[in-house]
Amino acid sequence: MMFNHPVWLLLLPLALLPLFADTQRTEGHPALLDLEYDLLSAILQLLLRVAGVLAIAGLIFGLAGLARPEYVIERTGQGSDIVLLIDRSSSMDNTFAGQQPDGTQESKSAAAKRILRNFIERREHDRFGIVGFSTAPMHVMPMTDHKDIILAAIDSIDRPGLAFTDVGRGLLMALLMQSRNPTGASRAIILVSDGAAVIGRRLQERLRAEFARHQINLYWLYLRSAGSKGMFEVPASNEEDTPQVLPERHLNKFFEGLKIPYRAFEAESPEAVAHAVNEIGKLEQKPVIYAERRPQHDLSRYAYIVALLGLAVLLAAKAAERSISSYAGRANAA
Amino acid sequence: MINFLYRFDPRFVLLVVAAIAATVAATGLRYTARRSIVDATIVVDLTGSMNARDAGVAGKPVSRIEAVRAAVRDLAQSLPCRSRLGLGIFTERRSFLLFEPADICANFDAFDGAISDLDWRMAWEGDSYIAKGLYSAIDVAASAKSDLIFFSDGHEAPPIPASGIPDFEGVPGKVNGLIVGVGGSGKSPIPKFDDDGRETGVISAADVPHDNRHGLPGKSVESAAGWHPRNAPFGAQAVAGEEHLTSVRSEHLRTLASKTGLSYLELNAGRNLRDAVLRSGTLRMADVPENAAPWFAIAALASLLAAYGISVSALRRASQKLSTLVR
Repeated sequence: MMFNHPVWLLLLPLALLPLFADTQRTEGHPALLDLEYDLLSAILQLLLRVAGVLAIAGLIFGLAGLARPEYVIERTGQGSDIVLLIDRSSSMDNTFAGQQPDGTQESKSAAAKRILRNFIERREHDRFGIVGFSTAPMHVMPMTDHKDIILAAIDSIDRPGLAFTDVGRGLLMALLMQSRNPTGASRAIILVSDGAAVIGRRLQERLRAEFARHQINLYWLYLRSAGSKGMFEVPASNEEDTPQVLPERHLNKFFEGLKIPYRAFEAESPEAVAHAVNEIGKLEQKPVIYAERRPQHDLSRYAYIVALLGLAVLLAAKAAERSISSYAGRANAA
Repeated sequence: MINFLYRFDPRFVLLVVAAIAATVAATGLRYTARRSIVDATIVVDLTGSMNARDAGVAGKPVSRIEAVRAAVRDLAQSLPCRSRLGLGIFTERRSFLLFEPADICANFDAFDGAISDLDWRMAWEGDSYIAKGLYSAIDVAASAKSDLIFFSDGHEAPPIPASGIPDFEGVPGKVNGLIVGVGGSGKSPIPKFDDDGRETGVISAADVPHDNRHGLPGKSVESAAGWHPRNAPFGAQAVAGEEHLTSVRSEHLRTLASKTGLSYLELNAGRNLRDAVLRSGTLRMADVPENAAPWFAIAALASLLAAYGISVSALRRASQKLSTLVR
């Protein structure tokens, strides 16, 4: 139980008023000693007083905004806590062919936006958080089940991006976001990027430790542009095999070496992205116990109904009121 | 007949009124009210000088970013429902949108979480070209079809060149909104952080440039020590200045506001941000459903209390009469 406008409760002492006065008429009677104690009258008087208290208290409780506070119930369903780690570097503004988007081809970020929107709308019981990364990691939205604001954040990803791709610190921020929300749900990070970068050795250690501490599934959706190196590409014997030359291959190897549930998807077209997102959706479909928030429920109506019942009793008594003198008059006439 | 007159007691009328009003209240009647709402993109300056701890009330200094977080949270709570707020950040010379305007009442938790995560660590560069950042924020707000609320301390780093503030290429007044100046009026030091985000002291005079040597030198520079038109067009001496200390540059922000057709407000205790936002923004109206029940409940309560009030005064009159009789 809670009150939304508790100031009104200051009026509550007024509910004691019916104990000192009542709405029936008081009449003089020459000799009260003459009257016998009448059980029925005593009960009726008590009833009227209780009705008066209920009517006043009910109205005050209603005005104070009596409500049942928001609560959480546990349900089983299919869902996860997902952090979307989204690349906001300026290369995402190009098409999969590595060109400026024209009327016929959409940019990678526009494709990602469309497909992620669709994904989020379909996932009923999931909670989402968003981390953006480019030159610096950016906390965009904490883990939430409010879909509209998540979609508002997704809507902003096809705006012009920044210069670099600092995937390591972005990952760390996504991990910390997950670890701040210890829930029973299955937890996942979806990394959406069109490139990778070298992760420094110290940061690698840190990431390894964080991934080992938390049970988190990792998906990497690599939006590969035409001509760029793939994540599964094996270098020719005369080529150098270093993270600087093949950052995608080495990031993939790093993820595989983490010994966590990890899947990589390489997508070279919007259709392939949609396919990959569907795959992720299928994988993140373990039955989980998820918390469903029940919003605050307004109970002021019921307070008014109680008040109305009290008022009805008072009104009935008032309507049935008769004067002693009118009886006396009638008796005289008879 | 007597009986009817007898029943026609004001208390009877009051009880009938109370019962009718309570019935209406119990049905949960709703009406729609037209309310002015806000649709705005908030852009927060996250450059180094915003870490200076000179905002807040005297004796309890908080950093400027913290003051902005508190102000935005208050604003979000006080705006009428159906208002929408988006969030962006500004560093270097660009504003970067984190999320587009979304309904503030329905998403308050998430919005609040996003606000409390605003941090200088999200800034990707140390420079602070406020004018350019503001112009890009105006573009962002225009593309989100919303007003702009731009929080900044107005501290340009590096300082403005001799050629003055860069020109605003947009149409002044096309995007409505507010520039909010953050920070104290006295000079205060700017904290410095190392690579791992630990505070390592304050920025000293030697850490920052005190004049801007981009573009053409100004007219008065010829009198500077060691000036030479070819070899030292800005003078040969390093300029000493107080750019390592910061205060809210209201003059600069006011100039920017008049250039771009925005309003200006200094964020201080007692200034009402909500009213300023509603006043400076584009007037938008929305039909908001309002609960009518409280009004009817008040009417019911008033009539019921009046009915009891009559009884109390009648009782007092009767007892007075009785006491005179006894006497």
